[in-house]
Amino acid sequence: MVFRKVYVKIEQFSLTKGSATVRKYLLKRVIIALLVLWVIASLNFVIFQVLSPISPERTILDPQFTPEVRAALRELYGLNEPILTRYLYYLRNMFTWDFGVSFRSLRPVSDEMGWRLGNTVLLLGSALIATIAVGVPMGIEAASRRGSKLDIAAIGAGLFTWGVPIFFIELLFLIFFALGLKQLLGFQVFPLSHIYSPSPPTDPILFIADVAWHLSLPLLTLTIASFGFWALYTRNILLESLTQDFVTTARAKGLSERTVLYRHAFRSTLPPIVTMITLAIPGVVTGAMITEWIFQLPGIGRWYLSGLLAGDYPVVQSVLFIYAVLTIVANLIADLLYGALDPRIRIGERR
Amino acid sequence: MEHWILVYGLVKEDEEAKAVSPLISAEKRIMWVKRIRGFWQEFGRKKIGVIGLFLLVFFVVMAVFAPWLTPYQPLSSKRVATGFAVPEWIRILPESQNLPSTHSMSFYWEKGEESEFIKAWGHNVEAQFEAETMETVYVRFNASISYPETSPPDEFYITFVWSAEQINDIEYLLKMIVVNPKGEDFLLWTEGWNTKNKGQNVYQNSYDPLLMDRLGLKLGVDNLAHNIFSEKGEYNFTLQMALKPQTENAEATITLQNANLVTLGSVHGILGTDNQGADIWAQVVYGARISLTIGLLAAILETIIGITVGVFAGYLGGPVDEILMRIVDILLCLPLLPLLLALVALFGANVMYIVLFVAIFGWQSLSRIVRSHVLSLRETSFIECARAAGATRFYIIIKHMIPNVLPIAFASMVLSVPSAILFEATLSFLGFGDPSAPTWGRMLSYAFGAGGFTHEPIAWWWVLPPGLAITFLCLAFVFMGHAVDEVINPRLRRRR
Repeated sequence: MVFRKVYVKIEQFSLTKGSATVRKYLLKRVIIALLVLWVIASLNFVIFQVLSPISPERTILDPQFTPEVRAALRELYGLNEPILTRYLYYLRNMFTWDFGVSFRSLRPVSDEMGWRLGNTVLLLGSALIATIAVGVPMGIEAASRRGSKLDIAAIGAGLFTWGVPIFFIELLFLIFFALGLKQLLGFQVFPLSHIYSPSPPTDPILFIADVAWHLSLPLLTLTIASFGFWALYTRNILLESLTQDFVTTARAKGLSERTVLYRHAFRSTLPPIVTMITLAIPGVVTGAMITEWIFQLPGIGRWYLSGLLAGDYPVVQSVLFIYAVLTIVANLIADLLYGALDPRIRIGERR
Repeated sequence: MEHWILVYGLVKEDEEAKAVSPLISAEKRIMWVKRIRGFWQEFGRKKIGVIGLFLLVFFVVMAVFAPWLTPYQPLSSKRVATGFAVPEWIRILPESQNLPSTHSMSFYWEKGEESEFIKAWGHNVEAQFEAETMETVYVRFNASISYPETSPPDEFYITFVWSAEQINDIEYLLKMIVVNPKGEDFLLWTEGWNTKNKGQNVYQNSYDPLLMDRLGLKLGVDNLAHNIFSEKGEYNFTLQMALKPQTENAEATITLQNANLVTLGSVHGILGTDNQGADIWAQVVYGARISLTIGLLAAILETIIGITVGVFAGYLGGPVDEILMRIVDILLCLPLLPLLLALVALFGANVMYIVLFVAIFGWQSLSRIVRSHVLSLRETSFIECARAAGATRFYIIIKHMIPNVLPIAFASMVLSVPSAILFEATLSFLGFGDPSAPTWGRMLSYAFGAGGFTHEPIAWWWVLPPGLAITFLCLAFVFMGHAVDEVINPRLRRRR
C-alpha cells in the first residue's frame, strides 16, 4: 500500500450529468478493464513463454528421459505449435479458467488455486477494511482539529507509511510478538506461521477463532504499516473541502461543527477516497504478498514467489493473471460505488 | 472540477514578462535565481524539510566516504570474527566486559636448541640436513604467543607456510603442538610420513572435524578453542620435524615462514558480524551507495518519462492524449511488484535492470498531474500570446510548458526516490536482488533466511541496521518531499 504516490487526479469528479454519460463512463471502465486483462495476459505469455529461459524442459524434464518421452512432453505442453497458435490457445485457456498443470505438483493449477486464493482474499480484504477503518476516521479528526497533536500524529503516520518498508515492520513484529514474547513468556502468544493450526478444530466457531488467531499478527502489521496513508490522505482531501463555499454556507446556517464536518464536508470527500481505494488495491496486493512470504501464510502470493524461484510457470502466469483480475474487479466495484456516492451522478440518473 | 497545483509564483511572473517586452535572457536568468532563492527561503522554514535534508546529507557522506569509513569490503567472505559476533561497544555493559575481540598474531618460528641443523634468518627459518647416520633426526622449532584476553575465543585458526627444497631420499614427519599455560598440550596439525609433498600453505581451523575427532572431542558439543585458550597468558607453539634418511645421500632443506594465529573474537567493530563472520558495518556503509544510486537514477528516469508523457498528452490533446492516458490507466491497474519480480527473474537480477523496470512502471501518476497542469496552462493568456506571436507547438512545449511543470515534477521526483528504494529493497528481500550488489534489502533477506531471527539472542545488530537505514533514507526523501510539496503547492499551506 506504500508504493504509489499520494497524488490522485481529481478530474474524474467532473463527471457530467445525465445517465447516458454515466453509462458511457461505466462502459469505458469495463472496456479498460478488459484491455488491462488482455495486456496482462499477453505480457504473461511474452514473459513466460516467449522470452523466458524457464521452460518445462528445464523444470520437469529429467535428463534421463528418453528423446521419445521428451518429445511427448513437448507435445503435451504444445511447444511444437507455431507461436501464434500457442498464443491463441493460451488466451482461450486463461479466459476459460484453464491454467494448465503445475510443474511441481503435477496437478491442475485451477484445483490448487482455490483455497490459496481464499486465504489471500481473506487477508487482503480484512487488511483493507482494517486500515481504512482506522485511517479514515483519524484523518477526519485530524482535519477538524488542524495543528493539534492528533493532526501531527496523522501527518507523522502518513509520512511513516511512506518511508518504512512493510517487510521491515513485519519482521520487527515477528521478532517482538512471535519470537520475543515466546522467549519472554514461555508460550506462543502469536503463531509464527500458517493460517490455521496443524490440526484445526472441527467446531466451526473454534475454527474461525483459530484462523483469526493466526491472521491477527499479519493483519496488525499490515494495518499499522498502512493506516497512516489513509489518515494523511483523508486529512488533505478534507482540508481542501473545508475551504469551500458550501462549508461556509453550512456553517452560516448555524449547523453544528460535527454536522458540517461529517454531513457536508466529509460527504463530498467520499468520491476521491473511493478513487484512492481503487488505486490502493495493487499496493495491497503487493503488501499481502510480502506478508504471506514473511508469515508463511499459504496464499497465492507465497505460491507465486516459490513458483517463480522454482521455475513453475503455469503457476506463476496464472497467479499474475489472477492478481490482475483481482485488481480490475476491485477497480470496477469502486467505480460502481463511486457512482452511488456522487450525488451529481445519482441526480443525473433520476432526471 | 479543479486542477491540481498552482505553481509557486510562476504563472504570474511569466505572464508579466511576456506582456511587457520580449524576454531578455539575462532578465530571465535573474528570475530563475529569484525563484530558486525564494524556494530555498520557504524550504528553510519547514522544519521537517530541514530534518530530511540533514538525514540525506548523512547518507550521502556515508556513500561517498564508504572506503574511508570501513577497512572491509561489503561482499568479502573474510571472517573478521566468529559468526554472530556482537558489536564491540557492547563491552561497556558489565556482563559483556569479558567478551574477547579478534586478535591476529604473526609469529616467527625460533631456532630450537637441540639441533645444529637449523639456520634462521629474517622471518624464515631453514633447516638444512645432510645424512651422517641412518638414524632418525628430530628437529624442533618454537614460538611463544601471549593471548591477551581473559575469556576464550569461540574459534581460532592458524596459518603458516612450509616448503621443502632439495629433498632427496628422505622421509619426514611434521607436527604442530600447542601447550597452554596450564601445561595441557594439543596436537593441532600433523603431516604424515611422506617424501612427496614439497610444501604447503597450512590452514588449520579449530572447527575442523578431523582435528576434533583426533583430539577426542565431540563435534557440536565441545569447543577446541575454549579448551586451549582458557586463560590469559603465554602459549607455546612447537613445530616438530622428524627426518628419516633412506640412503646415505639423503639431504633436505626445509623453510618455514609467515606463521599467523588468529583468534576470532565474539565482539567486532561497530555493528558486529553476520552468521558468516563478515563485517556488518561495511555492508551497511556500502549499501548507502547502492540505495542512493538506485533511488536517484530511477526517480530521474521516471520524472523524465512522466514529464514528457504528461506534457505531450496535455498539450497535443486528441488521439495522442487518449492513447497515452489509456496506457496510464492500464499501468495503474498492474500488480507492480509481482510483475517486477517476474521481469527480474526473467532478465536477470541486475541493478540497472531494476532501475529501468522501476522507472518504466513508475511514471504514471506524475504524467497525470503534469497533464492536468498543462491543460490549465494551455488556457492561460501568456500561452495564447506566444501562440499568437507565431510560436510553434514544439517551441511552446520546450520554452513554456516544461519550465512551468518542473517545480511539480521536482516535488514528485523527491517523493519517487523512496518508492524506488523500497521497491529495490523489497525485491532484494524476497531474494530477487542483484547478487553482486551489497544492498540493505539483501542483508535483511540473508538475516531472515540465515538465522538472524532465530539465533538466541536475536541478532539485532544484524537485523536492525539495514532496516533502519532503509527507513531513514526513505524518510529523508519523504520529509523533503513533503516540505517541497508544501512550498510549491499552496493548497496545503496553512490558512492564516
